Amino acid sequence: MTLLKAYLRGLREGWFVLGYTLCVCLSVFILAPFLMIALRSVGKGWFGKLWLPPQLTWDWYRWAIEVGNIPEVMKNTLIIGVIAVAVSTVIGIFAGWAFGRRQLPGKELLMAIVLLPRMIPPITYALGVAKIFYTLELVDTHLGVALAHVSVCAPFAILVLSATFEGLDERVLEAASVCGANTVKRFFYVVLPLIMPGILASMLFSFTHSYNEFTLTLLTYGPNTVTLPVRTYLAVGDGYWEITSAMAVIMVVPSLAILAMIQRRAKPEKLVGGFKGV
Amino acid sequence: MTGFWRRHSIHGITGLLLLPAILCFFGLFFYPMLLTIVLSFRPEGQAVGWTLENYTRFLASPDGRWVILLTFILAVGSTALSVLLSVPLALTLREKIRGHRFYRLMVIVPLVVPGLIGALGLLLFWGTRGWFNLFLTQFVPFLPSPLRVNYTIHGLILFYVWLYFPYTCVTTMSALESLDQSIEEAGAVVGANRWQVLRYIVLPLITPGILAGSVLTFMAAFGAFSVPLIAGGDYRPLAVEIYKEISIPIPARWSAASAIAIVMGILQVAFLAMYMRIVRRAGGNAGAVR
Repeated sequence: MTLLKAYLRGLREGWFVLGYTLCVCLSVFILAPFLMIALRSVGKGWFGKLWLPPQLTWDWYRWAIEVGNIPEVMKNTLIIGVIAVAVSTVIGIFAGWAFGRRQLPGKELLMAIVLLPRMIPPITYALGVAKIFYTLELVDTHLGVALAHVSVCAPFAILVLSATFEGLDERVLEAASVCGANTVKRFFYVVLPLIMPGILASMLFSFTHSYNEFTLTLLTYGPNTVTLPVRTYLAVGDGYWEITSAMAVIMVVPSLAILAMIQRRAKPEKLVGGFKGV
Repeated sequence: MTGFWRRHSIHGITGLLLLPAILCFFGLFFYPMLLTIVLSFRPEGQAVGWTLENYTRFLASPDGRWVILLTFILAVGSTALSVLLSVPLALTLREKIRGHRFYRLMVIVPLVVPGLIGALGLLLFWGTRGWFNLFLTQFVPFLPSPLRVNYTIHGLILFYVWLYFPYTCVTTMSALESLDQSIEEAGAVVGANRWQVLRYIVLPLITPGILAGSVLTFMAAFGAFSVPLIAGGDYRPLAVEIYKEISIPIPARWSAASAIAIVMGILQVAFLAMYMRIVRRAGGNAGAVR
């Protein structure tokens, strides 16, 4: 009997060890590529069967910044990201208010329609967007690329902000009215502070999507609107792995900063979500 | 009649609030989609006339059918692997093991980092001179040459799993978190061992969550573009095939690309509808267990 108990306990601890091993393996699986990139970007003369680069150098970063024109590219990426975030947040606030707080006939259907772009591979409508932007001469302008990004960011903003507005408690607003606040005051002093976390989360997610967006950018960019993902792709095509790695490191730093903010402020489920009601 | 309209029409202010979203949807999704459909029926390079040739040429050629099959193999393979990885991982992370916060963070890293960077790092890591093969050739006996991972089908599936498993994993974890502990305790009280509790209580209850997550992974893998573009080599799934049509030939073959895009969209929607039915049925079963 004791033998059986010991066996069972061993089995349980075995499972525990197995689970722990899985976690460690996963971390290696996720992180090793980044380590490889980081080492590649500072290594020199790293050939053959060596675990680590024999010499260290900052040359690749200098090359990336000078030849790859990273400051200009970074500026483009930020301008496009800010426009895309602003437009999709405004759309999200309005639509979120309508979805979350007002009587809407056929709400489910409307929501499904608004979320439809998330269900179709972006390349299918990217073709049409590019065609339209060519005729409107929006290709190779910051506004054009940002508008293309909005088609990806807006559904997210709408989703996050609808949930935020739905969570707003009616009684709090009534209390504010009872205390004598007019509509404007009520909005700025009561509603806005309450929905601020939702707006911030929506902005964070929109920016992440705009920053990472590759498909739509590739079909609408031009020489003046090269963004970081496109620049990295072009560098991969050139075949200089060290310089590409340096660019990748520069690009990944803001992503990790955003990751830290998401981890602290918002639930990661929202980054994924959007299909519960469909 | 007025009563009917009052109940069934969108009020003025609500309509105004929805206007930007509707405009965005029509301008950036619906109209481009429509344009793509029209374009796919036009003869190549012409603005008038109707033809089915773009479709028949793609669907009749062995290359075209191989591209569709390849896209399915990649998407199904990576979805299955993601589920196999996510479920044990979510079950492990449910226990608050040491460093569980760190591992949770690891799960969402691929969601936030640009896919292109992930693909680049994976190419470096799994390449013939990367750490993976260095490890194999130095520590595993009887392995004369490095394993080829990059630019193969299994390599692509592996890369897809790296990039898209978080969708499945995060959804599974949130399904597990919302699970009522007392149900499991009840199972344990009536004499089920850990395995039986897992097999007959926990897994059926989180199946809808797993399926919903795997839909997301499947769709992302089906529409994947950046990863196969730089890490696919000779294996070009639908999305890359579309891009090749408008980037390589001069003049660009927009109609052929549009036809492939429409085929891809239809396949995705059809598969999504099928999957949703399966999810609904699984949800019903879970309800019966409860």
